[in-house]
Amino acid sequence: MNLLFKHWQQRWRMPELRLLLLALIVSVSVVTAVGFFTSRVENAMQAQARQLLGGDLVLTSARPLDATYLQRAKALGLETAETISFPSMASRGDKLQLTQLKAASNTYPLRGDLKTAATPDAPSLLANGQFPARGEIWAEARLFTELAAKVGDAVNLGRSTFTLARVLTEEPDRSSNMFQLAPVVLMNMDDLQATELLSPASRARFNQLFAGKAAVIQQFQKAIEPQLKPTERVRTLDEDLASVQETLQRATRFLGLAALLSVVLAGAAVVLTSASLMRRELPAVAVLKAMGMSRRQVLLDHAFSLLLTALLAAAIGVAVGFVLQFALAEWLSQLVGKALPAPSLLPLLSGVLTAVVLLLGFALPQLLRLVNTSPMQILQGALQRPQQSLLWVGASLLLAVFGLLWLQARDWQLAGMLLLGLIVGTVLFWGLATAALRLVQALSKRVGGGWLPSLGRSRRAVLLVVVFATGLFALLLLTTVRTDLLNRWAETLPADAPDHFLINIQPAEAAPLQAFFKPHGVELNLYPMIRGRLVEINGKPVRVDDYENPRAQRLLEREFNLSSFAEFPVSNVLLEGQWFAGATQGLSIEQEIGAMLQFGMGDKLTFDVAGQRFSDTVTSVREVRWDSMQPNFFVIAAPNSMTQMPQTLITSVHFGEKKALVTELIQQFPSITAIDVGAVVTQIRSLVEQVSFAVQGIFVFTLIAGVVVLIAALQSQKAERRRELAILKSLGAGRALLQRRIWSEFLLLGALAGALAGLLALTAGNVLAYYLFDLGISLNIVPLVVSSLIGSVLVGVAGYWNLRGLLQVLPLSLLKS
Amino acid sequence: MNNTAIQTDNLVKTIPQAGRELQILRGVSLTIDSGESVAITGLSGSGKSTLLGLLAGLDLPTSGSVKLFGQALDGLDEDQRAALRLGRVGFVFQSFHLLENLTALENVMLPLELGTQTGDYTVLATQALQRVGLAERLGHFPNQLSGGEQQRVALARAFVTRPQILFADEPTGNLDRATGNEIIALLFALQEKLQTTLVLVTHDETLAARCQTHYRLVEGALA
Ligand SMILES: Nc1ncnc2c1ncn2[C@@H]1O[C@H](COP(=O)(O)OP(=O)(O)O)[C@@H](O)[C@H]1O
Ligand SMILES: [Mg+2]
Repeated sequence: MNLLFKHWQQRWRMPELRLLLLALIVSVSVVTAVGFFTSRVENAMQAQARQLLGGDLVLTSARPLDATYLQRAKALGLETAETISFPSMASRGDKLQLTQLKAASNTYPLRGDLKTAATPDAPSLLANGQFPARGEIWAEARLFTELAAKVGDAVNLGRSTFTLARVLTEEPDRSSNMFQLAPVVLMNMDDLQATELLSPASRARFNQLFAGKAAVIQQFQKAIEPQLKPTERVRTLDEDLASVQETLQRATRFLGLAALLSVVLAGAAVVLTSASLMRRELPAVAVLKAMGMSRRQVLLDHAFSLLLTALLAAAIGVAVGFVLQFALAEWLSQLVGKALPAPSLLPLLSGVLTAVVLLLGFALPQLLRLVNTSPMQILQGALQRPQQSLLWVGASLLLAVFGLLWLQARDWQLAGMLLLGLIVGTVLFWGLATAALRLVQALSKRVGGGWLPSLGRSRRAVLLVVVFATGLFALLLLTTVRTDLLNRWAETLPADAPDHFLINIQPAEAAPLQAFFKPHGVELNLYPMIRGRLVEINGKPVRVDDYENPRAQRLLEREFNLSSFAEFPVSNVLLEGQWFAGATQGLSIEQEIGAMLQFGMGDKLTFDVAGQRFSDTVTSVREVRWDSMQPNFFVIAAPNSMTQMPQTLITSVHFGEKKALVTELIQQFPSITAIDVGAVVTQIRSLVEQVSFAVQGIFVFTLIAGVVVLIAALQSQKAERRRELAILKSLGAGRALLQRRIWSEFLLLGALAGALAGLLALTAGNVLAYYLFDLGISLNIVPLVVSSLIGSVLVGVAGYWNLRGLLQVLPLSLLKS
Repeated sequence: MNNTAIQTDNLVKTIPQAGRELQILRGVSLTIDSGESVAITGLSGSGKSTLLGLLAGLDLPTSGSVKLFGQALDGLDEDQRAALRLGRVGFVFQSFHLLENLTALENVMLPLELGTQTGDYTVLATQALQRVGLAERLGHFPNQLSGGEQQRVALARAFVTRPQILFADEPTGNLDRATGNEIIALLFALQEKLQTTLVLVTHDETLAARCQTHYRLVEGALA
C-alpha cells in the first residue's frame, strides 16, 4: 500500500498525470456546480409552486370533489383545506360589480400566505392565521372602488349580507391572469350555503388542498390517483410557468449545455492524456516485468494510481462545485424569500461518478493493454504497441460517453441522441479536417510549399485539427448562445422596462391619457382589450369537459383577452402564417393556447363578446415572450375588425421613481386601474444579473476544458515530434528552419481548425438558438474570420510553446530516448 | 556450487510473417554454469536478442526447452516465469531503459521494492550507486545524466539485488568507446565480486574475448 502510494507520487512527476488530474477536476467541478445549481433551482421552483398552489398537493375539478379524499388525507395525518370559486355579482345599494368569489375553509391556505390591509391605502400585512369570520368578507381594493365602499360597509352576495372586513391584497392560487377584472372576494366556507349562489350552472371550480410530509403526500397521491374521476385532476404549476421560471429554465438549459460540452471536452482530454500516459508507461512496464513483476502487480499499481487520481480529482472538483453552489444558494434564497430546502446530495454523487466513469471508460482499455505488454519488447529496438482489438476500446469509450451523457441528461433517449450527435459530429469533423488538409496539400503543390504535402496524409495533423476544432467549436457555440442569451435578457428588461400596467381605459380616454403623459416624454402604445369567451371551434360548440388539461378547462371557464391592432408586437415571434399586412380579416393566435385547446392555422373560432358573436379564421401563429412586461394577447384579430365590440384599452408604462405620478393619474382618470408590476420587474432583473453571472462562471470552466484538451493533444504527440526533430537536426536542419517549420505548421492547422469550428458553430448556434432558447436566426460571418484568427494564434503559440524545449536539445540526446 | 544456471535444448523460434514462417532461431542448445561469463556475438538480426529473451524466460520458444535455475520454463505462464526471475536476475539494456520519472536512487530501488529482500532499501540502493561511482547523483533524473552515467545507474539497478544471473544486451551499443570501456570494466568488476553468472550479448569481438565462453550466432544457429 505504501509502495502503491509512493509510485503514485512518483508518477505525479509526469505532465500527463497532472493533465489528467486537471481534466478530471474540470469535468467534476462543472458537473457538480451545474448539478447543484439545477437542483436548487428545481427546489426553489417547487417551493414557489407550492406557495402559488396554496398546498403541497391540490385536487381540482369543475364538479364537487369526492369528500372521501379529505377523510383519507386526514387519516394519514395530512392537513387539508377546501376552496370553491366562481364568478358572482356583489351589490351595495344601486351599485353592482362582478366578483370572483372564493369560499374557503378556515385552514386555507396550507402553503403560501394571505396578505391583507386595514384600508385600501394602508400597507399590506401578513394575515398570520387570521381568516374571515362568519358574516365577514375580505375583498380586493377594486371592489371598494367600484362599489364606493369603505371598510365596515355591508355588501350583498346572493341571499346574504356581509361586512367588508379587510382589504385582500394577496392570496396564493390567485388567478394567473393579472388582467382578471373581477376583484377577488374571500368568504368563509360556512357562509356559502346560505347565499344560495352555488348551482350546477355556476361555472365553479372546486379545489381540495393537502399539505404534509413529502413522503406522505406522495403516498397519498399514489393511492388516490387511480380513483380520480375523469373531471378530477391533480393541479400542478408547470402549466402556468411564471415569467421568472421561464428565465430560470432558459438559464438551466444553457448551463446544462455548457456542462455537457465541458465534460465532452474534458473527456477528450482524458482519452488523449491517458493514452499518452500509458504509452509512456509501456517501456517501464516491460522493464519491470523483466525484473520479475507480475501482471497482477502491474494492474494493481496502475489501477491504484488511476483510482487515486480520480478520487483526488473528485474531491477537489466536488469542493469547487460546492463552494460555487453557496454563491448560488445565496441569491436563490433571496428569490424565494425563504431559506432553501437542503440541496440534494445527488450532484456530489454524479460528480464523483463522472470522474470514475471518465477514468474507467477511457483509461481501462489502455490499462489492460499495459498489463499485457510483453517484456520481450524491451529487447527489441523499436517498441511496437501490443495489438489490441479496437472493438474493445471503442465499446468501452462509447459506453463511458453514454454514461456521462446520461449523468447529465438523466434520460436514456436523450443520452442516446446526444451520443449519436457526438459520433456524427466527430465523424463530420474528421471528414472535414481530412478534406481541408487534402485541399491545402493540393494547393501548396501548385505554390510549391516544400513540406506541406505530408500534412494531407498525416493522421497526426488530422487529430490536431479535429481536437482544436472541437474545442474551439464548443467555445464559439457557447459564446454565441451566451451572448445572445445575455443580450436578450438585457433587451427584455431595459432600465425603462414597464413597471405598471394601466387597464380599463375607456376608448374616449385615449387622447387625454396621451396628453397626460406627453409632458413626461412618454408615448403610450394603447391596445384594445376585448373580453370574450371561446364558444365554437369550426362551428362545433366548445365544452369544458372535452378537455383533459386543467389549464385548458380554466381558460375556457374564463374570458379571453382579445385584441386587434396593426403592428406586430415586438416581443412576439411569428411561427406560422402571415401577420395582417393590410388585411381586414383573420386571427393571430398564440401557439401554446392553440396546442392546448386544439386549434391552429385555418380553424374558425367563434367568441361570445358580451352577447355578440364574433367569428374569424386563424391566419397566423405567434410565440409570445411573457416575461417582456408588454401587454400580450392569446388572440389578436385583424386591425379594425372588432371596433363594434365593447372594449377598453390597455397599456404598460415605466414610472420609475415618479410614483407620485401614479396617484395623480388615478385622480385624473378614476376609472383606470394601475397594476404595479415593479416588484416582478425588479425580481426578474436581479435574477437575470445573477443568472448571467452563473452563466459566465460555467463558461470559464468550458474554456479551461478547451485549453486542457489542446495541451493534451499536443502532449500526446510530443514523443513522435521529438524523434522527428532529432532526425531533421541530424540531417542538418538549423534552429531557424525548424522554428519556421513548427510555426507554419501550427498556424496553418490552427487556422483550419478555427475556420472549421467557426463554420459549424455558426450552423449549430443558429439551430440551438432557434430550438432550445427561442432566439432568432443570425448569419454573422465575423465569428468565422475571428475564429480562424484565434485558432491560428492560439494553436500556433501553444504548439510552439509545447515544442520549444526540444529545439535546444542536441540531436543525439533526442534520438537516445 | 558449480551447478548449471541455464540449459537449453534445441531452441527454435519462428514468427509468422506475411503468410509464411520466419525462422529466427533454428535449434540452439547450450549450457551455462553458475558464475560463468558467456558472450553471445553475431551480426545484427542474427537472433541474439531473441535468444537472450528466451534464456531469461521473457518469451517461450516455438519448440525446444529452457531450464532456468534447474526449472523447466515450458509449463510456466508469464507470471510464474516472472516470479522465477524476481530478485535472482538482473538486466542491462542497450538503451538503458531507466524510468524517466524516477531519480537515480528511485530507479535502483525498484527491483528491491518488487522483491521480498530484507534491509533498508534506501541504504542498499545508495550503496549500489556508490559502487558505480554515482554517490553524488542520487537525486538526479535520467535526463540530467549523460549516457554513460545512465548506464551506470542501470548497472547499479541490475546488481542491487545481488542476482545470480545478469543478462546484458549490447550494454555499450549506445556509448562512445571510452565510456563503453568504463562500463565494461565496471560490469566485470561487479560480476567477479558478486560471483554473478553473466550472459552478455555484443557484436564487439574484443569484449567477447574477455568472457570465459563465447558463442557465435549465425542466422539463428550456433556456429
Ligand atoms: N516480434 C517480432 N516480429 C517480427 N520479427 C521479429 C520479431 N522479433 C525479432 N524479429 C526479427 O528476428 C530477427 C532477429 O532479431 P533479434 O533477435 O532482435 O536480432 P539481434 O538482436 O541479433 O539484432 C530480426 O530480423 C528481427 O527483425
Ligand atoms: Mg538485438
